[in-house]
Amino acid sequence: MSAVSEVDERSPMFVFTDEQDALRATVRRFLAERSPETEVRRLMETETGYDPAVWNLMAGQIGLQGLALPEKFGGSGFGFVDLQIVLEEMGRALLCAPFLSSVVLAANAVLRSGDEAACAQYLPGIAAGSTVAALAVTEAAGSWRAADLTMGATAADGGYVLSGEKLFVPDGHVADLLFVVARTAVGPSLFAVDPATAGVLREPLATLDATRKQSRLVFDGARARLIGEEGGAAQPLSDTLDLAAAGLAAEQAGGARRVLEMAVEYAKVREQFGRPIGSFQAIKHKCADMLLAVESATSAAYAVGWAVDEGSDEVGVLASLAKAFCSEAYTHCTAENIQIHGGIGFTWEHPAHLYFKRAKSTEILFGNPRHHRALLADRLGI
Amino acid sequence: MSSNPDRSGLSASELALQLREFLAEHHPGRTPRSTSPLAAAERLVFQKAWQATLAEHGWAAPGWPRRWGGMGLPLRLQAVHHRELAVARTPVAPSRIGGIVGPALLGYGTAPQLERFMGPLIRADELWCQGFSEPDAGSDLASLRTRAVPDGSDYRLTGRKVWTSGAHFADWMLCLARTGPAGSGAAGITALVVDMHAPGVTARPLRDMTGGAHFAEVELDDVVVPATDRIGAENTGWAVARATLGHERSTSLASSGMRYRRVTGDLLELARRRGRTVDAYDRDALARAVTGARLLEWSGQRVLARVLEGGEPGPLASVIRLQHALFEQGLHELATDLLGAQGALAPADEHLTAGGKHDGAWLRGFLRTRASTIGAGTAEIQRNTIADRVLGLAEVWR
Ligand SMILES: Cc1cc2nc3c(=O)[nH]c(=O)nc-3n(C[C@H](O)[C@H](O)[C@H](O)COP(=O)(O)OP(=O)(O)OC[C@H]3O[C@@H](n4cnc5c(N)ncnc54)[C@H](O)[C@@H]3O)c2cc1C
Repeated sequence: MSAVSEVDERSPMFVFTDEQDALRATVRRFLAERSPETEVRRLMETETGYDPAVWNLMAGQIGLQGLALPEKFGGSGFGFVDLQIVLEEMGRALLCAPFLSSVVLAANAVLRSGDEAACAQYLPGIAAGSTVAALAVTEAAGSWRAADLTMGATAADGGYVLSGEKLFVPDGHVADLLFVVARTAVGPSLFAVDPATAGVLREPLATLDATRKQSRLVFDGARARLIGEEGGAAQPLSDTLDLAAAGLAAEQAGGARRVLEMAVEYAKVREQFGRPIGSFQAIKHKCADMLLAVESATSAAYAVGWAVDEGSDEVGVLASLAKAFCSEAYTHCTAENIQIHGGIGFTWEHPAHLYFKRAKSTEILFGNPRHHRALLADRLGI
Repeated sequence: MSSNPDRSGLSASELALQLREFLAEHHPGRTPRSTSPLAAAERLVFQKAWQATLAEHGWAAPGWPRRWGGMGLPLRLQAVHHRELAVARTPVAPSRIGGIVGPALLGYGTAPQLERFMGPLIRADELWCQGFSEPDAGSDLASLRTRAVPDGSDYRLTGRKVWTSGAHFADWMLCLARTGPAGSGAAGITALVVDMHAPGVTARPLRDMTGGAHFAEVELDDVVVPATDRIGAENTGWAVARATLGHERSTSLASSGMRYRRVTGDLLELARRRGRTVDAYDRDALARAVTGARLLEWSGQRVLARVLEGGEPGPLASVIRLQHALFEQGLHELATDLLGAQGALAPADEHLTAGGKHDGAWLRGFLRTRASTIGAGTAEIQRNTIADRVLGLAEVWR
């Protein structure tokens, strides 16, 4: 009995349940079938950047969009770590889909607003995959902090109208529903906007990472609905961005692990000077260092995931820590993967550059490593 | 051929002055960008025209003999020439490989070969590529498998080259092929000049990660190469390839330091324009970039000084090559960082603009410089060379 209780007292952190392993296997199989490299390359050349049929299968067949959303809003009520497992797999496969935008960013922005009516109205669609939503925060300055946002909203006959420009909005050009952070006289507030409404102009930006699209949105007196409290968006936004950073960290860890595998597989078979290049110490050490980065990134990503599920008050600290660390680890691994592949790694036909570009774009998304280390220092009270 | 004015007796300042006057009148402006094979072709036309202008006025090929269309300048003046062109930001030579083919021809070419090839090479009437690497022979070049089999007064050439820069635009290829038995390593390799328009030669453009197609795959299917197009004796191709690493390099090394001082100036301007000179972290990174550029420049000058005194470029030249590759990469990583959120845009996106200037070139450079540590011998191979040849550590890697 005492042995059992000893086991029970062990922290559940870093131990995946059988269900979680099964979830990972299912998602990996699905992505291997539906998002092979050929599909990634096909979709990245399209303007929308994703395949609605695959999107619907994700929702209908395995319920990925609703996985971690509350049951009362049409989701399955799984935890954040479960969502991270999905994101890690998506990162490995370089899935082209507005999952991060719709499910992680937009859905959490609504949830965190505390606006039950808005949750009931919008979340079931997101969970079912029938609504693709996007969250528009950044402006020309590229900042993710509510305090730096300038776009304005004004009250007009019972509702609000928005005017101004949002830039670098992930998947904003394909979303069926936009959530926009804008400033009223009271302060930063969250609004829902139907992109079909008058006064909304959307255009895709040309992105370094073609597997994840960004857009420019221009609002010119567009009608919007207030979500949550007027002027009360700063804290929910910050919380949402912490979750998004935690989710992205898992995606980065997944991508980093994939390129490590690629590099190691290649180092074992590519021969120069009559030996596998993996037998040269220079390459061995690169691979070993990549593994340090990958394992550390995985630890960081899941540490914040478990903190989220436990309702820990350390989430903010860990999210910043993980986003900064995982970003750099991923970028490092993708650059080393190109280097280890030599000439072929610099060639378009090889997938190494796709990961390199994804790594760079995710390093910048939600704030770069320096931004997050500064945030970490603030949050630690340094 | 040598109607070139003899400028070899000028003082450094006289040469610089003359060159500046020439540039003031003839500088063609900024080279067009190339992101697609089509744009690359346009860019080539531009570069070719510039090279022709240089040649026409006797300003091309500073180190090569006047007899073959060059300027015949002493090293000290070659350095001035390189520096002035670098500072003036003139287009680079269209067939960068000219810097490799020229020395090989000059060192090992017969008089008829020099007569045939040097003029068009210097004027860029004909473009060259360097067919060394193969799918299975990159770092280990001596293991190449493309075969040249003697057949009367010809060779019959069969094999495959890859990552050959500019092969799809080239008229000639300096090609390394095996003439010795399989496994004969460096001792069984011969250097041949291959007519890229000959039957059996197919150059397929190969896209690289920047999206452009600057290199190509070359199929050599029973190509007839006259034995008169062999450079040097049979089985001495390795020495011919090595000859491309002569003194010529030292003067251009000196100028690349100068070029990077200029590029670092551009980086500081980028930082100022984007308001990134306030933060202590940015300031530190920018100061490091300036340091790196200056170190390259000074080391380049030390190599040059040594060569001017009649010495060999020595270990420092290997050091500079590696330093240069790493610096170039780091500089562009920093530039991308300074772009902030715009660093996630494609180099061509119109929103990559600040203070009225488009900064796409930095992002393109960010992608392009991944090749700095691969293309001209990988950074790992360069470190091995430094460790083995310069520091005399045991060669454990063969
Ligand atoms: C942009 C670009 C332009 C090019 N242009 C030309 C051209 O015009 N003509 C031409 O002939 N070639 C050209 N190349 C090819 C280039 O020379 C080769 O890519 C390079 O020599 C490396 O060979 P590889 O690609 O086969 O890599 P590999 O030799 O397979 O190397 C793979 C990895 O193993 C490492 N490695 C290999 N051997 C060792 C060792 N002994 N110790 C430690 N590490 C080792 C390498 O450093 C690298 O990280 C070009 C390449 C690029 C990227």
